[in-house]
Amino acid sequence: MFFKSKVYRKSLLKSLLFVLPGVILTVVFVIYPVINTFWLSLNKWNGIGGAPVTWVGLENYIKTLTSEKFWNSMLNALYFTIGGFVVLMPIAFGLALLVTSKMRGTKFFKAAYLMPVMLGTTAVGLMWTFLLNADYGVLAQFLKFIGKPEWIINWLATPTVNIWCVVLVNEWMYAGYNMLIFAAGIVAIPDEVHDAALLDGCTGLKKIIYITVPLCKNMFMVFSVLCITGCLKAFDIVWAMTNGGPMDSSATPAILLYTQGFQYKLMGRSGAISIILLVLGLVLSIFLNQVIFKQEDM
Amino acid sequence: MNKYIIKSGIKKGAQYFIAIFMAVVTFFPLIITFINSFKNNEQILLGMFSLPEVWNFSNYPDAIRIANALKSITNSLLVAVATLIVTIVIAMPAAYAIARKSFGYLKVVYILFMAGVMVPVHCTLVSVSKISSTLGSKNSYLFLVLIYTAFNLSQAIFLFSGYISGLDRGLDEAAKIDGCGDLKLLTVILLPICKPILATEAILVFIYGYSELIFSLILITDSTKYTVSRAMLNFTANYTTSYGPQFAFVIMSMIPMLIIYLILHEKVEAGMLAGAVKG
Repeated sequence: MFFKSKVYRKSLLKSLLFVLPGVILTVVFVIYPVINTFWLSLNKWNGIGGAPVTWVGLENYIKTLTSEKFWNSMLNALYFTIGGFVVLMPIAFGLALLVTSKMRGTKFFKAAYLMPVMLGTTAVGLMWTFLLNADYGVLAQFLKFIGKPEWIINWLATPTVNIWCVVLVNEWMYAGYNMLIFAAGIVAIPDEVHDAALLDGCTGLKKIIYITVPLCKNMFMVFSVLCITGCLKAFDIVWAMTNGGPMDSSATPAILLYTQGFQYKLMGRSGAISIILLVLGLVLSIFLNQVIFKQEDM
Repeated sequence: MNKYIIKSGIKKGAQYFIAIFMAVVTFFPLIITFINSFKNNEQILLGMFSLPEVWNFSNYPDAIRIANALKSITNSLLVAVATLIVTIVIAMPAAYAIARKSFGYLKVVYILFMAGVMVPVHCTLVSVSKISSTLGSKNSYLFLVLIYTAFNLSQAIFLFSGYISGLDRGLDEAAKIDGCGDLKLLTVILLPICKPILATEAILVFIYGYSELIFSLILITDSTKYTVSRAMLNFTANYTTSYGPQFAFVIMSMIPMLIIYLILHEKVEAGMLAGAVKG
């Protein structure tokens, strides 16, 4: 041990230098801000450098948890989740079945479906606000064409309708991405299983329900984790399409903490929403992981 | 037998129909926006479905002139490239140490990095904005790049250390016998072998960096330094008199990514999958 110690110490020091820049960045920009946000959430501060920071205890949390806006934003996050499971999951799984089938051009289709993810959330959001515009957008024009102009409303300015528009645009953007996850699961099913299914006369829809879906269970788990944790964090697409408005009606928790902090200068309130979001995210991921581990044990 | 063939024919037809339909749904919004970026206001207000009667090319120069479109696209490309370089330079040695050294504290460091995944970026906004005012680093790309890097590190280190762990240790031993130090081993031997995973991570970071919105929203206030997302939002919110240039800007912002996707779509697919399954 004594003999090794000099080499050992040198090696230890070297490894420390290798990880140090990353550790510093993580501590400065991730860990410290979270602690600082927690501290701010217990105070009142208007975000201006010299302004006083006054201790208010749990007031920010109480005000947040009793405010209608906050629960409305949670409801919007829930819509994102519902949209994810009801719309996105079936479409993504369907696309995955298509691109892993024996048809021609699967490579092209796969690349085509994935394309929207590349475009950038803001650009996608803005593009769809053009298409959904009540004056000149495609949907408005289509409704005029089929003789139902009375159905044209300002979709992005009507509460509940606007958040669902955002949710559907989000599904448009991420269908291909989630398709990749499911496709990876389908491809991993061994050929023997397919052969055995064929011998037993199990084909078509029956095969999908009894063979493909159960064997892709892991991928459904991955999807669920990504969907649920992602929904809490939805920001860019909402911001690009509605700015969370009108009157915060389409705000998600992430939007709300931004507007509270940077528009109304209620840094403490914003901090409280941040911490609630963080804790909720942690609890949900731990819970989901627990579910997955239990499934794997069986 | 005949019935079977007809049945499978119908099934195949339906498959192709759905596949093509979904491809149309995917491309349609892009094509419509592209076509309308060549119209003037009156033509757009007549409806987006029709082809322009007169192809109006002035929307693009207008967007470039009024919204500083090219400048913001360049800014974003610059930030994205800088972020991917910094991320790799910082993450690679850390991943190497974590994968190859067995000091106890490295486990703690690894957990620290992985904890980063759990923190939503939004929870850090208030504090990051405060730090940047204290340091006087609003509008600083260096600061922006370092933040982007910090939020990409956990993914990068996860992917890199996983990849390095999968490599044969015999290689390291042989290199060490030949007198290679850690740094040389990493840069000369492991880096070329790790090319696939580096490409994967580079693509993921690049996509993130190019279109990132929220930090540029709170940290960049100087309009000549706007990243593309920020500049687009600013333009569509303030320049509402004419629609064409807005469409043109959105289309222009997508072009760099579409070009990259055309060239590297298989790499992108692999990268996205690696990034997703980590979750």
